[in-house]
Amino acid sequence: MKRVFSGALVTMIAATSMLAGCSSTNSTNNTASSTQPAATSGSTAPAQTAAAQEKVKLTIGSWRTEDIDAYAKIIAEFKKTNPNIDLEFKPTKNTEYNTSLNTALQSGSGPDIIHLRPYAAGAALADAGYLEPLDGVKGMDTFSKDTLLAATGSNGKVYGVPTVFSSTQIFYNKKIFQKYNLQEPKTWDELIKTADTLKQNKVTPFAFGSKEGWILSLTQGALAPSVYGTDFIKKVLSGDANFKSPEFVSSIKQMKDLVPYFPDNYVGIGMDDMRNMFVTEQAAMMVMGDWEYAVMKKANPDLQMDVFPVPPVKADGKPTVTTWVDGSFAVNAKSAHKQEALKFMEFLTTKAFGTVAVNELQKPSTIPGIQANDPLVAKITKNADSISTPYAAVVYFSAGNPTTKATLENSLQGMYLNKLTPEQVAEEVQKSADTWFKPKK
Amino acid sequence: MNNTAKTPGWKKGAVHLFPIPALAVYILFVIYPIAAAFGYSFYDWKGLVRGDFIGLGNFVSLFTKEPFNHLFWNAFGHNLYYFLIEMVVQNVLAFLLAYLVFSKLKGSGFLKMAYFLPRLLSVIVVGFLWKLMLNPNNGVVNVLLKKLGLVSWAKPWLGDPATALTSITMVNSWFGIGFSMLIFLAGLQAISTEVIEAARIDGVKGFRMIRSIILPMMNQSLIIITVFTFIHAFEAFELVYAMEGSQGEPYNATDTLAVFFYRIAFGGSSGGDSVALGLGSALAVVLFIIIATISALFLYFTRNQSAQH
Repeated sequence: MKRVFSGALVTMIAATSMLAGCSSTNSTNNTASSTQPAATSGSTAPAQTAAAQEKVKLTIGSWRTEDIDAYAKIIAEFKKTNPNIDLEFKPTKNTEYNTSLNTALQSGSGPDIIHLRPYAAGAALADAGYLEPLDGVKGMDTFSKDTLLAATGSNGKVYGVPTVFSSTQIFYNKKIFQKYNLQEPKTWDELIKTADTLKQNKVTPFAFGSKEGWILSLTQGALAPSVYGTDFIKKVLSGDANFKSPEFVSSIKQMKDLVPYFPDNYVGIGMDDMRNMFVTEQAAMMVMGDWEYAVMKKANPDLQMDVFPVPPVKADGKPTVTTWVDGSFAVNAKSAHKQEALKFMEFLTTKAFGTVAVNELQKPSTIPGIQANDPLVAKITKNADSISTPYAAVVYFSAGNPTTKATLENSLQGMYLNKLTPEQVAEEVQKSADTWFKPKK
Repeated sequence: MNNTAKTPGWKKGAVHLFPIPALAVYILFVIYPIAAAFGYSFYDWKGLVRGDFIGLGNFVSLFTKEPFNHLFWNAFGHNLYYFLIEMVVQNVLAFLLAYLVFSKLKGSGFLKMAYFLPRLLSVIVVGFLWKLMLNPNNGVVNVLLKKLGLVSWAKPWLGDPATALTSITMVNSWFGIGFSMLIFLAGLQAISTEVIEAARIDGVKGFRMIRSIILPMMNQSLIIITVFTFIHAFEAFELVYAMEGSQGEPYNATDTLAVFFYRIAFGGSSGGDSVALGLGSALAVVLFIIIATISALFLYFTRNQSAQH
C-alpha cells in the first residue's frame, strides 16, 4: 500500500510540472514586485529634483540582441544634440522579451523606453495603460496613418514612434538570370515564363516550402496584390468585400498554381532549407523579407542577388512590395524621466535618425525620402517608399485567438497538403475574422 | 541509543524544522504556481490584465467553441497515439534489449551503455539532429533510401501529415529506449535466481520462461514503466516543438495538448501573437486532471499485483 501511495505521489509531482510552467511568470512577478519599485523610486527621486543640466540615464528595452552595435551608433547620434541624456540599450532574447517586459510592467517597473512589438501585441500594452500617449510629440506628422497604426491603441491614440519597415519582395539570382538571358519580369505572365525557362533548365524557380506557417502568409501577402490590387483590402476593412469574395479566392488559387515551380518535397521544407537552396544557387527566386538579405550575404558573400517587386497580373496593374512596421519605440508611463524619454521620441522622427537607422539596421526607414548606402538596401527602401502596400495579415488581421493570420497560415498549409480547396481556405479565414472583426464604414 | 536518550525534547522537535528552506522553495515554485493556475482558469483575461471572474467559462469555451474544441480532441488523440507507440515500440523493444543484456551475452556491458547513450543528449539536440536527418531532400534518411533504389519511399517525413507524428514518436522511442531498458533490467535482476533455476529444472524454457515466470515476477517494473510512459506521452512537448514548431505543423498533424497549451497561453514562438492566459490555464488544469486521475486509477487497480512482491 505504501508503494502505491508513493507511486501516486510521483505521478502527481510529474503531472504538476505542466501547471507550474503555466504560471511561473506570475510567481516571479510577485517576488519582483516587492523589490524593484523600491529600488527605482529610491534612486530616481533625487535625480528628478536636480538641475536640468545634470546627467540622466535612461534604459531602452528591446528584443533586438543582434542590433546592439547599430543602436550604439544611433545613441551616439542622439547624444550629439542631447549631451545630458545617457541611453543604455538593454535587449532581452527575442523569445523571452514579451514575458520579461510584461512582468516588469505589471510590477510598475521596466525600462524607460520600450521597444514595442508592432500592431496587436503592442496595442495590448497601450490598452493596459503601461504607455505614455505620444500624439503631441513634435514630428509625429512625418508618418502616414497606416504607419502609425502599428502603435495605435484601441482608443485611437498613438503610443509609439515607428522606426523601420520590414518589406517583402522577390529576391533573384542575377548570375542565373544572366545565364538564361532572363530579365526582371514586368507582368505576372512574364514571371511565369521566367519560371518555365528556369524549370526547363533544371533550376528550381522558387525556393519555397510549406512546412512553416509564417512563410505561407508572408508569401500570400506579397503575391496577392498582383491579383486583387491595392484597394481590395480597403474594401474588406470597410465591409464592401470579404475573404469569400472572388478576388481573395483567386489570390489563394494563384498560390496553388505555383506548385509546379516549387522544389521537390516542398511540404517538408522550412526556412533554413529555402535559404540554403537560394544561397547555394539551386533555386533562382525567393519571395522573402528584407531581413534575409544580411543573412544570405553572410552565408555566401559571392552570391549576386537582386530584388524585384511583385509584378501585376493585369496589364494596367502596378508592381507592389508589401510592408509593415517592424517595431516602434514607446515611453513607459511609470518612467521617472518622461521628459528626457520624449526628447528621444522627437529624435526618432528626424531625418538624422532615419539615415543612421537605414544604414545601420539595413532596413527601410519609416521616414520618407531617406537614402541608403548599400545599393540593394537603397532599392528595397525606394520600393517601400513608393510602391508599397500593407501586409494585411499583420497590419489588420493579427487579432483573434487563434489569430486570423494563424488561421490563414494553417489553412494554406492544409491546401498544399490537399486537405482543403482554395474556396475552403477563404471560408476558414472569413470564419476566423467573423469572431472579432467588424468592418468600419 | 544513548545519545538520543540524552537529547532534550526541544532539540528533537527542531529536527522537523530543517526541511523548511527546501519546502519553502518547493511551495513558492511548484505549489503556488499550481494553485495560481487553478485560480487563473476561472478568470477572463484581456491580454495581460486579469478581467472578471467567469467561473467555468474558460472550460466551457475550451470544449464547445470552434476551433478550440476541435483542436483539443485532435491533440488528445495525438497524445493517445504517442502513448500507444511508446508502449508498443519503445517498451517492447526495451524489454527485449534488457533481456538480452540480462542473459549475459558477450559484451552486454557495452550494449547496455550503447542503448542508454541517446538518453544523455538533450531532447532539443535530439530533435534538431533528427530534423536534419529526416530533411526531405538532403537528409541522410532519404539519401540512403534513394541510394538503395527505394525512391518512392523517400517521403517528406516531417512535412506529410501521414508520417509526421509517427516519425516523431519513433525518434522519441529511440531516445527513451535506454531508460525503459534500465528499469526492466533492474526488474529482471531483482528476480531471485533460485526461482529461475527451479523453473528451468521443471523444464521451462524460451518464450514460456518469459511469459510464465519472468513477466509476472516483474510486475512492479511494468507498472512503473506504464505510468511513466503515460505521463511522458501526455506531457509530450519538447520533441514536437523542436521538430515541428509551436503550431504542431503540418496542418495540426503533430499537435499535442502541451503544444496546444503553449500556443494559447503564451502565443506561440513568434512573440507577436495574442495570448489567452485564462483559456491556457483551463487547458493546463484539464491536462493535470487527465494525467492525475488516469495515473491514480491505474495504480489503484494494480495495487494487488504490486503488493504481492
